[in-house]
Amino acid sequence: MTRNIGKSLIGAASGLALALATFSTPVLAENGDTLKAVKERGSLLCSGHNGSFPPFVQVTDDNKWSGYDIDYCRALAVAVLGSDDNLKVVPISWAQRFPSLQSGDVDVIIKATGWTMGRDTELGIQFSVPYFVGATNVMMPKELGSTDPEALDGGSLCANAGTSTERLAANFFKSRKIEVEMITFEKSEETREAYFAGRCDSIVGWGPNLAVTRQSAENPDDHAMMNVALALEPESAAMRQGDDNWVDIVNWMFAATWIAESKGINSGNVDEHKANPEDSTVEKLLGVTPGIGERLGLSDDWAYNVIKQIGNSAEIFDRNIGAGSVYNLDRGLNALWSDGGVIVPMILD
Amino acid sequence: MTTAIQQLPPAKPSFAARLQKSLFNSPLDCVISVVCAALLFYLLYQIIDWAFIASIWRAEDVALCKAADGACWSVIDARHRIILFGLFPFEEHWRSTLACIVMVATIVASCFTWFWSATRLGLLWLCGFGVFYILMRGGMFGLTGITPERWGGLALTIFIFASVSLIGMPLSIVLALGRRSKLPVVARLTGLFIDFFRSLPLLTILFAAAVITPFVLPGWLQGDKLYRVIVGFAIFFACYQAENIRAGLQAIPPGQDEAGLTLGLNYWQRVTRIQLPQAFRNSLPSIVNQFVITFKETSIVTIVGFFEILASGHAAYGTGEWTPHYVEVYVFIGLIYFAFVFSLSRYGAYLENRMRVGHG
Repeated sequence: MTRNIGKSLIGAASGLALALATFSTPVLAENGDTLKAVKERGSLLCSGHNGSFPPFVQVTDDNKWSGYDIDYCRALAVAVLGSDDNLKVVPISWAQRFPSLQSGDVDVIIKATGWTMGRDTELGIQFSVPYFVGATNVMMPKELGSTDPEALDGGSLCANAGTSTERLAANFFKSRKIEVEMITFEKSEETREAYFAGRCDSIVGWGPNLAVTRQSAENPDDHAMMNVALALEPESAAMRQGDDNWVDIVNWMFAATWIAESKGINSGNVDEHKANPEDSTVEKLLGVTPGIGERLGLSDDWAYNVIKQIGNSAEIFDRNIGAGSVYNLDRGLNALWSDGGVIVPMILD
Repeated sequence: MTTAIQQLPPAKPSFAARLQKSLFNSPLDCVISVVCAALLFYLLYQIIDWAFIASIWRAEDVALCKAADGACWSVIDARHRIILFGLFPFEEHWRSTLACIVMVATIVASCFTWFWSATRLGLLWLCGFGVFYILMRGGMFGLTGITPERWGGLALTIFIFASVSLIGMPLSIVLALGRRSKLPVVARLTGLFIDFFRSLPLLTILFAAAVITPFVLPGWLQGDKLYRVIVGFAIFFACYQAENIRAGLQAIPPGQDEAGLTLGLNYWQRVTRIQLPQAFRNSLPSIVNQFVITFKETSIVTIVGFFEILASGHAAYGTGEWTPHYVEVYVFIGLIYFAFVFSLSRYGAYLENRMRVGHG
């Protein structure tokens, strides 16, 4: 993923911070600690951003946080505390994410964070199931006539210098024996400008970022994504290692929005479904028959509250990234498996 | 007779004559001057055209922006509240505005010589800072409480600058005096302290204050992240400022201090009446310089997750239809920085002038 903000400096500082942090902490959290702390504090501390990362974390005209990740923070606050009034979004930078989680500045990181082995095993954090998959992709003008990688043969590609996407793209085209000249830029704004100014025939980036770029074009319909993705990154929420109960809560918060979608339950019709549940899964999900709350240490209507106040996964996507937003991004792989996506809800028994 | 005429100062050449001499003295000069002037006018025209003539001004006209050749100031019209106030609750923006005005008024007031005594200056800053803090923080006098993680924009930048100066300036005097102390232990320790913090990059200090100290300090000593970062920043500021003041102190001839000693003045009397006033005058340019640098460096706190004006600007253009218009946002923020820093340096220049007059 491409984030170019004085990378080396931040890298050095965060490296030092992490080294000291891992060196000096009792890394493991106790089981149930986080839930207890959140309830005692009466507020949930969730990760924001120092600036904005559309469409995941951004700020509305009336100075409120919004976005896909923020909506899941709200959902978690509703699940645990009954309403999102007590959600506190803490603005943190990319480099600061994991130290902030360790030091207790945030209870959970829901911030386009890729699940990697290094983070999972060395930083004392635990990942949830992936709630979003982001494809690294190439955007090109429709006038090329085709969205095959071969259409770029002999052309050029704009990329952010020194990022993993740049290497990915270089390897991708090399292995397919397609001649593509790489033109790299330090800042993502420059890369975008260069593409629109016609300095290169295509631009590589992380899918949602590219969608934001496309939407800013003079005529967004003139641009299309390549029909092959370069790589896929699973994005997960991150919690402190050792607090299994908290990991369960976050996992099932995601699952509740997926199960609701698969059963056709949304914020508009949840009351009807609760009055007339069609099967035992819906009964359990909406707390008609007890169990869903007690096993996590929450109230039995937590999932009902989440769906009622925030909505199901389709509504959350649509509002922030999809047709209901200015980005108008196709749901693609982030749809449920039954609609051709990769999201598979866990089984509620 | 002839010598008397020669001693008259030469007549001041007219503007046209000077122009002719410096710009159009030879054919080559003429060509260079004309080309440069043409280029300059062309650039000026481009900038004016971009900023004023071909630009879009109102938020409602955002649809026209994509086709327009000029600046899209609509982004400022629609999103200036985010740049100025960050995440501060929308309904309470009047508080943030008032707080900024109070703080700027305090800074301006402390520039007047009437306030230049320890009690008056101290009282002024205590009041100004207190009002600012109560307005921003709330929780009393019927104002709703707003915790610092929601502070942002210009108000946060000013708050950080003001509190760093407020903590850092007295600390820098203490450090400067400590380093010149006759007791070797004190002198060595302060020297070590100053050199240690000066050898660390500001970014590292801020990162450590924000992220690492919670692991090390006991809970009751931690405080809010904002205050930890401000203390870290103030120490960094004080170490540099202490060296500026020390330079001013060293320029004072030791005889003055000895004269004070023979008059029976004690240490504090000598420091406050003889040494410090002259030290400030001697190193005024570098002291003002340090303030200017600090104002600009406040933007680094964005790295540890604060919504100061630059981060707010990023948030202002980082959504939906505004993403292409980052240049306009940066120009707007640049003008705000310019207004503050330029007035600071002009004030510094005025002070130097005034003191030189007083000295003469």
